Amino acid sequence: MTTTVGIRSKDGVVLAADKRASKGFFVGSKVVQKIFSLDGATAVAIAGAMSDAEYLVNLAKAERRLLALRRGYPLSVKESAKLISNIVYSSMKSYNPFYVELVVAGVDREGAHVYTSDMSGAITSEDFMSSGSGSPIAYGVLEQGFRKEFSLDEARKLAEAAVRAAMERDPGSGNGVDVLAIPNGHAFGGAN
Amino acid sequence: MASGEMGRMPFFYNQEGRLVQVDYALQAVSRGSTTLGLKTKDFALLSSQVKPTRPLMEPAEKVFVVDDHIGATGSGYIGDVTTLLDQVRVAAQRHRLVYDEPIDVGTLSRTLSEYLHEFTMYAVRPFGASVLLAGVDDLGVQLLQVDPSGTTFKGSAFAIGQSSDEALETIVKGYRPDLSVEAALALATEAIEAVNGGKSVIEHGLVTAASKRFEHQQLPNAVA
Repeated sequence: MTTTVGIRSKDGVVLAADKRASKGFFVGSKVVQKIFSLDGATAVAIAGAMSDAEYLVNLAKAERRLLALRRGYPLSVKESAKLISNIVYSSMKSYNPFYVELVVAGVDREGAHVYTSDMSGAITSEDFMSSGSGSPIAYGVLEQGFRKEFSLDEARKLAEAAVRAAMERDPGSGNGVDVLAIPNGHAFGGAN
Repeated sequence: MASGEMGRMPFFYNQEGRLVQVDYALQAVSRGSTTLGLKTKDFALLSSQVKPTRPLMEPAEKVFVVDDHIGATGSGYIGDVTTLLDQVRVAAQRHRLVYDEPIDVGTLSRTLSEYLHEFTMYAVRPFGASVLLAGVDDLGVQLLQVDPSGTTFKGSAFAIGQSSDEALETIVKGYRPDLSVEAALALATEAIEAVNGGKSVIEHGLVTAASKRFEHQQLPNAVA
């Protein structure tokens, strides 16, 4: 269930997600937040089992805080994505997987990045990525609409349009869109 | 049991009822650099002397952030201090995972004290380090000292390390419950410099009830 979208633009990243939590064929909640910030410059959009995803995000937050305190500077987006995928991978290998597909997006010294990590721990990075049951529909909009030279605002508009398209045809997605835009050079670090 | 036999098992009580290993650990602490903690109802300050370094060498970090709202410093073997520091940092994050709330200073010091206590029970070396914890939680501003034995003290001012008794005397003379941050910085600097033969490099860390954030910075003689 769920549709999440992450887009990389020349001046930042955008995350978008719908607000529906499904319980089988029932709409369990219409106001669920699926975008979580790991700190001021990195965020995660979650799809899959909400309990697994929220636990994973909290675990990643704790591990990131520890590492940032120990070494004195925060994690890059790639490091954050790899941290999450390592946790997911080891769980899969011990037959106790996290039922999640996450989009990790953020800005760091090297600019804007978007990664997805699935429940096997595989990570991929592209200019735009989508996860959840509505992702095939969202990808249709993204493939048609994406331009490399997009500004942050244009990326934000496309992300929202992709999630809205998925909400029209995917019964697992709906009830509104949350969007988070992180501009390049955004104060990165911060404990939360 | 003959006393000679006891001598070969220093992790047992001796005939005076003392744990000599723990006494030695405290002696190791008193050889460390002079380190102070100072608290009013509005803030807590941690100050530690940074021992003179060799040329071209960077001074060691002495005051540490444990979590957003708690800081720590220590005296004794620096390797032991940093190991203990990591323990409390992990405990703080574990608490956030379990309760989704920042840890309170009392629970954190209890965790540290239980960890230290383990090392007084068996044939291992107790940690040669005392730790000062300063933080803000729902109960207000907190300042605690945790010793190698696992003993925890709560209070408004602490001194550990070299010449700590003399340093504490200076603090006691100058302490008032309505001390300003600037006055506390000056007092801590004065106390450390008085027992270390003048101008010293001192690292300070501060947490205020208003900000609820522990900030530390290298302040070489911020208030001279």
